[in-house]
Amino acid sequence: MSKNGNTRKRPPPPPQPSPAQTPKHHAASQEDDFLDEDVFLDETLLLEDEEILRDSEGRQALAARLSKWSRPPLSDAYVSQSRSILFQQLEIDYVIGESHKELLPNSAGPAAIIRIFGVTREGHSVCCHVHGFEPYFYISCLPGMGPDDISRFHQILEARMKEVNRNGKVPKYIRRIELVEKKSIMYYQQQTSQPFLKIVVALPTMVTSCRGILDRGIQIDGFGTKSFITYESNVLFALRFMIDRNIVGGNWIEVPAGKYKKTAKNLSYCQLEFDCLYSELISHTPEGEFSKMAPFRVLSFDIECAGRKGHFPEPTHDPVIQVANLVTLQGENQPFIRNVMTLNSCSSIVGVDVMPFDTERKVLLAWRDFIREVDPDIIIGYNICKFDLPYLIERAETLGIAEFPILGRIRNSRVRIKDTTFSSRQMGTRESKEVTVEGRVQFDLLQAVQRDYKLSSYSLNSVSAHFLSKQKEDVHHSIISDLQNGNAETRRRLAVYCLKDAYLPQRLLDKLMFIYNYVEMARVTGVPISFLLSRGQSIKVLSQLLRKAKQKGLVIPNVKHAGSEQGTYEGATVLEARAGFYEKPIATLDFASLYPSIMMAYNLCYCTLVTPEDVRKLNLPPECVNKTPSGETFIKSNLQKGILPEILEELITARKRAKADLKEAKDPLEKAVLDGRQLALKISANSVYGFTGATVGQLPCLEISSSVTSYGRQMIEHTKKLVEDKFTMLGGYEHNAEVIYGDTDSVMVQFGVDTVEAAMNLGREAAEYISGTFIKPIKLEFEKVYYPYLLISKKRYAGLLWTNPDKFDKMDTKGIETVRRDNCLLVKNLVNECLHKILIDQDIPGAVQYVKNTIADLLMNRMDLSLLVITKGLTKTGDDYEVKAAHVELAERMRKRDAATAPNVGDRVPYVIIKAAKGAKAYEKSEDPIYVLENNIPIDPHYYLENQISKPLLRIFEPILKNASRELLHGSHTRSISISTPSNSGIMKFAKKQLSCIGCKALISNNDRILCSHCKGREAELYCKTVAHVSELEMLFGRLWTQCQECQGSLHQDVLCTSRDCPIFYRRKKAQKDMAEAKLQLERWNF
Amino acid sequence: MEPMEIDSEKTLQRKQATYTSLDDIFEIQKETYRGQQYSQIYFARLHLMRTLLYSLVPNRKPHLPVCTILQLEEGKECIIVGTLYKHMKLKPCVLDEYSKERSATPLVRPHNFMHTDDNLVLEDDSGRVKLAGSVLLPSAYVTGIVVALHGKETDAGDFLVQDVLEAGLPPQIELPLKSSEDKYVVFVSGLSVGSSTSNPLQFQLLVDHITGHLGDEKEQGIAAKIVHFVVAGDSIEIPRGLLNGQNLASKDQSRLSEPIKELDILLTQIAASLPLDIMPGPNDPANFSLPQQPLHRCLFPGSSAYNTFRSCTNPHCFELENIRFLGTSGQNVNDLEKYSEAKDKIEFMERTLRWRHLAPTAPNTLGCYPFTDRDPFFIETCPHVYFVGNQNEYKTDLIKGSEGQFVRLICIPQFCTTGVAVVLNLRNLECHTLSFGTEFIS
Repeated sequence: MSKNGNTRKRPPPPPQPSPAQTPKHHAASQEDDFLDEDVFLDETLLLEDEEILRDSEGRQALAARLSKWSRPPLSDAYVSQSRSILFQQLEIDYVIGESHKELLPNSAGPAAIIRIFGVTREGHSVCCHVHGFEPYFYISCLPGMGPDDISRFHQILEARMKEVNRNGKVPKYIRRIELVEKKSIMYYQQQTSQPFLKIVVALPTMVTSCRGILDRGIQIDGFGTKSFITYESNVLFALRFMIDRNIVGGNWIEVPAGKYKKTAKNLSYCQLEFDCLYSELISHTPEGEFSKMAPFRVLSFDIECAGRKGHFPEPTHDPVIQVANLVTLQGENQPFIRNVMTLNSCSSIVGVDVMPFDTERKVLLAWRDFIREVDPDIIIGYNICKFDLPYLIERAETLGIAEFPILGRIRNSRVRIKDTTFSSRQMGTRESKEVTVEGRVQFDLLQAVQRDYKLSSYSLNSVSAHFLSKQKEDVHHSIISDLQNGNAETRRRLAVYCLKDAYLPQRLLDKLMFIYNYVEMARVTGVPISFLLSRGQSIKVLSQLLRKAKQKGLVIPNVKHAGSEQGTYEGATVLEARAGFYEKPIATLDFASLYPSIMMAYNLCYCTLVTPEDVRKLNLPPECVNKTPSGETFIKSNLQKGILPEILEELITARKRAKADLKEAKDPLEKAVLDGRQLALKISANSVYGFTGATVGQLPCLEISSSVTSYGRQMIEHTKKLVEDKFTMLGGYEHNAEVIYGDTDSVMVQFGVDTVEAAMNLGREAAEYISGTFIKPIKLEFEKVYYPYLLISKKRYAGLLWTNPDKFDKMDTKGIETVRRDNCLLVKNLVNECLHKILIDQDIPGAVQYVKNTIADLLMNRMDLSLLVITKGLTKTGDDYEVKAAHVELAERMRKRDAATAPNVGDRVPYVIIKAAKGAKAYEKSEDPIYVLENNIPIDPHYYLENQISKPLLRIFEPILKNASRELLHGSHTRSISISTPSNSGIMKFAKKQLSCIGCKALISNNDRILCSHCKGREAELYCKTVAHVSELEMLFGRLWTQCQECQGSLHQDVLCTSRDCPIFYRRKKAQKDMAEAKLQLERWNF
Repeated sequence: MEPMEIDSEKTLQRKQATYTSLDDIFEIQKETYRGQQYSQIYFARLHLMRTLLYSLVPNRKPHLPVCTILQLEEGKECIIVGTLYKHMKLKPCVLDEYSKERSATPLVRPHNFMHTDDNLVLEDDSGRVKLAGSVLLPSAYVTGIVVALHGKETDAGDFLVQDVLEAGLPPQIELPLKSSEDKYVVFVSGLSVGSSTSNPLQFQLLVDHITGHLGDEKEQGIAAKIVHFVVAGDSIEIPRGLLNGQNLASKDQSRLSEPIKELDILLTQIAASLPLDIMPGPNDPANFSLPQQPLHRCLFPGSSAYNTFRSCTNPHCFELENIRFLGTSGQNVNDLEKYSEAKDKIEFMERTLRWRHLAPTAPNTLGCYPFTDRDPFFIETCPHVYFVGNQNEYKTDLIKGSEGQFVRLICIPQFCTTGVAVVLNLRNLECHTLSFGTEFIS
């Protein structure tokens, strides 16, 4: 159900831009722009009475049904507030409310209240209101500013703030300005600290407006107009709080007894709700007992909508007909709640609580009640953020159910939707909707999988096929309405399907260890869990940097372009690839986490960088500085240790420890945590370099990143030189070693020896020898040998990978078309099979023969159609495309044929290229594979030969074969061509059908039936051929259709699945059709 | 071939037996592939069997209510009837052939796909339920059997099986009065003419023996009592490589037609002297799905000229002297062996009778025609003789049913590897073998 995947789920078209709509909710939260958004507590409050009235609408029966799933009751110690509250926090946000009179007797007016949501060990839900934490930032103090100057500056700033924020009810914008001793993180400075001003403001959003004022410049008496660089003014308030209180995402927090006060009036649905001062919180480091996970409740859900024929469901028209829910306790294997809410009756399903309702309104309200009663901490699903949740909310709006979107944990607070764009260098720009469900973490599996894995398709079908090796039945959205309009049985069918869609995300979550990995990532990097999915890489590094800087008394400037304005810098080096097929073992020498180790070895950091000006001025002794190959100067660690190297060191040591603990660990849950942690640590270490190079990032410093890559290049060259100098016949080795290729952090060496074992020994020797010439911790490692190895060009190679001399591990390929999705399956299969034959069987003639046979099959029209299907996503309608594209044109044509089944925007369009009139444009030659099958339309084999398979094939064969192109693509096997006759073309309507002899195709009269007089003697042989064909098809037919029954999970019901992602979809259809035809052929023999 | 000299003046007259073919239920004539799926045959099977099993409940479990799976209530004891489905971890999956990356090590095809994690599910037209408990052993059951189960739903939503009600042996037509005359039926299977293991002399010896061209008067006297000859599948082995749809060179044409001609010649000799039924098998030039349709007459230009030559379906059902025969060329039992276990093949055969279904694994793992309104493999009437061809060794047993039914079960070994044919005496349904060797034993 991705934007490029499934047929059913697609975000509704973006709302018409109406400037009258609250522009505040249109916050563009780009990665490079962290903005706080103040939410006022009373703004979203509804009259509670109104809701109570609605509640008594006679839903007691439902309430009773739901109440058995509520959380465990509180023990007496909790009720009497005599024990401390210890909980794992999952979500931290803030609201603006009246400041707490008891806890903060000295302040008044609106203030930011931090809310921490979490779960205790017993499974109680917690909402903790933290008071007294104030937003602030720094500016550097002007030289000569005394206490009087500061207080005058305070007044000026307060006045300017009043001008900007006219409508505020805040009595005082700038709470206070403190003089502190800090140091900027940028550049090496000899003095220990400088005076800075810490500006404390009333509300978090005021940080931004105040920054604006200071950026533009402010008139100060006696100093003139000055503009200020602000420091740490881009830190989100919740993150600021976490950093200052040493809280990391997903850790355990304790509030001692007596230090908290139960809230006077419960604002949330949580069992434990209390107020406390920010200074009373105890944050536990996630170690030992505190590395465990609380039993939080994970809800996985999916909705079904009844769309109209030919349209994708839209919340303004199409009802929500089913909602399936599974709730699992973290750490358990099986969900403890399985239910489905349906519109109209539905037959029961074993082990599932089926809740039928007669109106859509009741379905939606039941779901809301369910959410409130079960109180999930994490909500998961597939594409819920872009489809399910917005759809439910917009649908409720259409139906006028004002009380529906109270799904969060805050009483009477409605869920808000806003459109966001998220852009990052890693993933490009994405538009999405953000639905804020207060106190509950949303975890959209689609987003997570898209973020972490590179797949050719992100539909739930193909993702679950990939990770769970399970094909999922796919019901076309045009059938959903039919099932809904049938009877209780057909709706049950739909419910089973809907449940499966709710179940698969849960399985994916478990299988891919997302909970563990993400919680650990949050703990390692210190950001809230919700940031991990919604924001890019840089906030994670920034969070670590801020934490470290705080310890050292450093402050981080908020500048878009720190350091020099240098657009790009030279990237990693790639040694010239000596293309060829290597039949001797190739040893691979890898730098273990090269970039982090370079940064550590050469002490590269913001605070060790010496400006060119300072180089001249400071007169630093040469033994105290490193001059990088790119020309920058950095202080060595003996003079001052950099922060980045320190962060990296910690990450790497922590990873080593996690890996060591992992070996010791016995408990599978503990193992999962540790494995997640070491992975998070690895990713974090590698993203530090990227942070310094992200020119649109938070604190880019190209001096650092270009130095890193320049050292990297130098090391690769150095390694090559050392290897080729040392391992020579002159040096006493059997052969001269040769570096055949080198990439960012690895070098491939042919030592010339014949056995894998000998290559491994030399590889180890070389790695050790060369490592010795580098500064620690840079280390060259030997890990693997390729044998044989096919090097095509840079970044493209294939080989058998050996890590021990007895048996190869696998076939490893890079940059060769096996996953590209706009290729047909034929290419993938052909390439795979060829590589298999070349590398594993070492049978080059066999590979050539295989290619020839395949090409002959293609030309002779013997190719399985499913291998020829090309799929492209339809992202907009035909008119919006500037260039005519094959799949867009086809979608238009299909719409003319039958609007109900034609692909819509967001669907993927599968097509094959067919033979067309001479001079037809490429985009006119696309056709629906099903239509092709049904009408015997001839495909265009030359298109496939020239545009699909020739390039990848030649790439593989050119290093191996002379005249590869002539040999493979133009040999005698390409002479014989067969093209099927279309059954629906104009001319065929006038053709008279006449029987031909099965043996020799001569025309025969009706009396002869099957064979001409010449072939009469060959009856037995020809019959055998016909019947063998039938027999093969029967076997295929049986296997394919029973497989579909298996996926569907039912023997007694017809298979409905139309998943075009399924590898056997076209095969199945074709088998059915071929079978009917072959049967007819066979019947000709019955005379 | 010159007729052999006859020792005595007396001419032996071959005995005759009345024969009725009951193959019509296995014939596919009007039925075509029109897009129908396999759900319908399962539905037909469930419907047939359910009526039957429901009728048994009042006698065997009179106190228990009968439910559909939908009507199950937690903790309530009841009877449910449905089709078994066996989840098998190791079962080969056609998707793997398409989607999995080709692995470096070739797939080894195991002989048996069972695994200790296999579990059973019962399905009726209303739903599915997972079966629990130790009464129903997954190892003895396969997908496609219809059973009645006594048990109750557990709190986990499983169905705890307490007892299994199988349909048991079908009713049997009473055996005709025992005649005092010996009349023999000879069964042979797996002649595999044209294969490397087949020995033409061995088959010729068999033919000569039953046509009365071998042995002394006594033996000829016995041969004269053979009233019927049944070939239970796999008579020809043709090189499959030649049948890839390409045009054949004339040398290959003859390689293909040679074994067929050879078989025709031998069958002609038999058909000339006694009635002969030939059934198609998995390797014969016939269709793949069960029921396999008769081998085409054009393959047997010589023998098909005789009216004693009958090309039959597989499974094959007929009556000889009012004794009912039912048999297959072995696919049903061989498939059961891949997906379940038993002490021997005879036990598999017995199970199919008790389940009242000749081929429960069809269509799931055994190819089968997608019937729409019937299930021809449902065994309505209990045969007196039940045989399967293409087995590794000869085995036979006589089983008795609760209502006095008794059935002779025969596993016919492959002739080309064992040289063994099976002889059945119609008088007392006793069985023995005929072994043909061509090697001298010193």
